[in-house]
Amino acid sequence: MAGHVLLALLPIVAVVALTQSRRLSAIIGMGLFSFLLAAVYLVMRAPDVAITEATIGAALVTAIYILAIRRTGRLTVVADEVPGLLAREADRIVGLEYDILRGFAISQGLDLSVSFVPLRRVRWLVAHGEADIGAGGIVPLTGAIDPLDATPGHLETGVYAFDARDGRPTSELAPDYDGYFSELQSKARNGLLSSSVTSLDLARVLSLSRGAPLEGLDRLDGRHGYAFLVSKDRADLKRDLVRYVESLQRSGELDAWIARHVR
Amino acid sequence: MSTQKRWIVCSVGIVAFFVVLLSITYMASMPDSADSERYLSIPIEVSGAANRVAGIYLNTRLFDTLIEILVFSVAVLGVRYYLSHSPQISLPSLSESAVVRTAAGILGPLALLLSVYFATFGHISPGGGFAAGVIAASAVLYVAIAQGMQATEARLSPQRIAAAEKGILLFLFLWILLPLAFGDAPLTELLPPGTPGKLLSAGSILPYNLLIGIKVFFGAWLIIAAFAQHRGDL
Repeated sequence: MAGHVLLALLPIVAVVALTQSRRLSAIIGMGLFSFLLAAVYLVMRAPDVAITEATIGAALVTAIYILAIRRTGRLTVVADEVPGLLAREADRIVGLEYDILRGFAISQGLDLSVSFVPLRRVRWLVAHGEADIGAGGIVPLTGAIDPLDATPGHLETGVYAFDARDGRPTSELAPDYDGYFSELQSKARNGLLSSSVTSLDLARVLSLSRGAPLEGLDRLDGRHGYAFLVSKDRADLKRDLVRYVESLQRSGELDAWIARHVR
Repeated sequence: MSTQKRWIVCSVGIVAFFVVLLSITYMASMPDSADSERYLSIPIEVSGAANRVAGIYLNTRLFDTLIEILVFSVAVLGVRYYLSHSPQISLPSLSESAVVRTAAGILGPLALLLSVYFATFGHISPGGGFAAGVIAASAVLYVAIAQGMQATEARLSPQRIAAAEKGILLFLFLWILLPLAFGDAPLTELLPPGTPGKLLSAGSILPYNLLIGIKVFFGAWLIIAAFAQHRGDL
């Protein structure tokens, strides 16, 4: 009887495993299938075969599959923190860009993995193919940011620079500073911001100026917007991401998220 | 392929598979059971293995098992050969959560112990070298998840392991040819069967299980290490 129940479960678990869009769920389904099969062998008094099926099918192959999807099954995002857009809050990450990227990852059947790195490292990691997307309040200032590509802006912002009196941007990307955003807090309080910062975006300026008003920063002319960075080699990824953001704009969801996180 | 199409293809495939399977099982095309009856009628005292399955595949049908080992070796060789053509990559470590690392650190040694048990007692109880080797490789994989791939590779260098894996294969083939030196046919059992159920019994089955266990462990580890080196770290 138990054998028949297990046998009947096998095709059900197989269909569930094969039709999962999330790869990790599919792998767990395959592992479960192997376990059930091992149980069937055990019920049929073939413990040797059951042990082999359980060790190879459920343990080793599952582990190897998980290893295989660690890169392909993940959407790796690198960013420095920026309040409102992508920042840690207690033990989770919140913000507008986080919501966009999470939704995009789900739509692609990927697991989102966000790593916080110093700002200037974001560009390097994306350019060298070690991360899929650079995020965290990135503002492209010029058209060419070789070898990277930026999505169209998803939120308008202002850019402020220390040496912008001549009206020229200081780098291809804003903001631009040494280290992590969290390290700028104490520098802003002590008036030492200009030692490590060349430019900042509106969200960071607002966050930093809560402690003490910032001095010496000038707003750059022109319209600027937050965008995501992708490698030029990843045209398909950029196309999918742009389409996803456009669908959010059309449905009005993006405006709702902006209202929730930024305004 | 659209989700609906995928559903249809999967469902049809699975149903077809089970229809074929059930037909084979329940209709006239049952495999002839005379062969299996013949193997089951051999007294266990002949091989000395209380685990009848081990007695068959490591004594009566040892030749088949050796070919199976050879197939596994070719698979390991193939994976290493094809991956060696892709560039080595070194990506920033995707560290697992503390929960996974702690659990893997606890599970690893336990799995290793289980593997030693399966290899050592494979001729008395269910188990055997193949399962033992795979469990050992899984155990080391857990350790690698807990301590990092680089630290684990430093201890289990793929180059040395690859040499040892081939060495064991060579030893196994020399061992089955050894009876020629005594004027017997290859594959002839050289060690006494002993009393079934005792640890030191079943002739060469215990050393076979230990050697196959180590060999499968080495082979599986080489595949994991090759994937880690060329497809991203652990």
